[in-house]
Amino acid sequence: MNKKKWNLAPYLLILPSFIYLAVFFAWPMVRSLQLAFVRDSQILPVLAEADPDADVVGRLEMQTQVAVVDRTRLDEVLPNGRTRPVYWFKIVGETEGGEQIEGWTHQKNVFIESRTTSETARVTSGEGAKEWTLDYVERMVNDYRFTNALKTTLILIVLILPIQFVLAIVMALVLQAQLRGSTIFLYIYAIPLGISDLAAGLVWVSIFTQRGFLNTFLQQVGIINEPFIYLSADHENWMIIAIVLAEVWRATSIVMVIVVSGLQAIPREYLEAGELFGASLWQRLRHIILPLLKPSLQVALILRTILAFQVFAVVVAITGGRVLTVLAYETYRWYDPGDSGFNNPNMAAAYAGFIMLISLAFAVFYLRTVRTQEEAARE
Amino acid sequence: MTTRTLDPVQRRAIRQRQLRRASVYALAILIALWILLPIWLIGTMAFSTQQDVYGYPKQIAPIPFTTETMEFFVNQEGILEATRNSVVVAVITLVLSTAIAAPAGYAISRYFFAGRDAFRLGILAVRAFPIVILAVPLAVTFIEWGMFDKVYSVALMHTALTLPTTILVVSSVFASIPREFEEAAKVFGCNAYQAFMRVVLPLVIPGIAASAIFTFVMSWNEVFAATLLTIRNRTLPALILYSLNKSSLQFQYAGGFFMLAPSLVFIFVIRRYLFNMWGQITK
Repeated sequence: MNKKKWNLAPYLLILPSFIYLAVFFAWPMVRSLQLAFVRDSQILPVLAEADPDADVVGRLEMQTQVAVVDRTRLDEVLPNGRTRPVYWFKIVGETEGGEQIEGWTHQKNVFIESRTTSETARVTSGEGAKEWTLDYVERMVNDYRFTNALKTTLILIVLILPIQFVLAIVMALVLQAQLRGSTIFLYIYAIPLGISDLAAGLVWVSIFTQRGFLNTFLQQVGIINEPFIYLSADHENWMIIAIVLAEVWRATSIVMVIVVSGLQAIPREYLEAGELFGASLWQRLRHIILPLLKPSLQVALILRTILAFQVFAVVVAITGGRVLTVLAYETYRWYDPGDSGFNNPNMAAAYAGFIMLISLAFAVFYLRTVRTQEEAARE
Repeated sequence: MTTRTLDPVQRRAIRQRQLRRASVYALAILIALWILLPIWLIGTMAFSTQQDVYGYPKQIAPIPFTTETMEFFVNQEGILEATRNSVVVAVITLVLSTAIAAPAGYAISRYFFAGRDAFRLGILAVRAFPIVILAVPLAVTFIEWGMFDKVYSVALMHTALTLPTTILVVSSVFASIPREFEEAAKVFGCNAYQAFMRVVLPLVIPGIAASAIFTFVMSWNEVFAATLLTIRNRTLPALILYSLNKSSLQFQYAGGFFMLAPSLVFIFVIRRYLFNMWGQITK
């Protein structure tokens, strides 16, 4: 009895979080894929013959203009058993894919001036269709802003991460040196943990803006004679630099904290032994500290890369989202029902799905590379 | 007693050591400046007169010191309301997240049960997952459920965002309390519940409070999901982001400082627990 109760307790304790993550994590994930890959619109199935049970020859979008090439009158049986005459039209129209199709449809599905004489009609109704589609994904991939967004996001990752990791390791080593006042340094180094990407972006706007601190400094030192406009459409490189600095400034602390905890886990004896045998700081770093830090660095790398694929507010603050765009901003722009957005959740979900996929791919890639290195070392 | 005179080699070694120590100090201060200077600069802007905000060249300190720019920001339409929304969202997130995470964290650290490692790994994976992106399907779902543009629905999203971290942190806090404490309490006649309430709880409260504060900060700072999930009931970051293109520099600088300032205090309060929080995830 008692034993059984002990077995059940932990499951009861984790149950709430399990349910919560199922509802607010797993379900939205499924829903996201659904939005990105299932078309949920009205389309008109065009039939091979003037018969509701006939085969479907193709589907037409709403509002498609069609030519009426033939018509026929049929008796339709109503639910109450009576019959009434209805028209069926043989229509020719182009599908969204550009394919010409010809077939029959019921009069209720088209708008036509005169049922007996008109040569053209317009598709006005159809059936709610849920079908797998790659249209959203295709549209996303073919959008020139997608390519730009992906390129900028990757450039930012390539520029930011190496700087961040070197700086984080330096910061961690400085903290490990146990200087007097190291708790103050720890506090200062940790401050950016609590700073939002939006605030960080605005901070660096004040530095890089035309009448900002950077120009003031450079002019006083005498490097420039008049304020330079960094954040303009003509100077994409400067915008990139500003974003990189803002991100390095804001998001290095997370890496630093992970590295410090990794360092603390390294037995002191290892480092002392290295020192005793006269290893220089660089040698100790290269042969003792970095190899032992590898698991921590790997986690930090995965975490930072995935976060970097979501970079958003810093970019909006510095570029306004117009000159340079990133994946998360495109997601937002497609979703946004306001003036500047497209109010298209399906496209937004396609972008969201892409961010998930590429994050996953990178995580797996990192895990694999490190493992193969370990395996290689074992051989 | 012997007074040891140092030979030149030893003296050089000591000098070198001092030099190295000094250079580490210099490096430490340099990095501190790198972090503090931008904060100082935006603070300068936030407490300068309107004239100085637009002026050039810039001053390095807010002279004359004035709160007029901050007042201008706070009195903008919707700012106070958005601030209130942000606080409400963050508090709901904090309470929900801690309440749901604490039992799970306790279970992971105290029980061995089938599926424990799988659950832990799952939480680690979820933690690394780009959760904010899920704001897109959630927004669509919330519209269907009639929960869109509500303060509490942002909090629900933020809880999903912070829950994995909170679970891991709480479990590490519990893990730092030796199991023997509970056993000792039981030896002295407490039942399991009393042992937990009287012995374990007082010891873990500081750690859990620190984790709760961090949850608050994460929610207070979150922009993307909040922007997608609200239209009229914007949180502060969502409102600022939304007004960026049509706002003045005064608004942007004061807004930036306003969002940043609380974290200076919060990080100071929880600084001792940071490694507990983040060191966890490497294990």
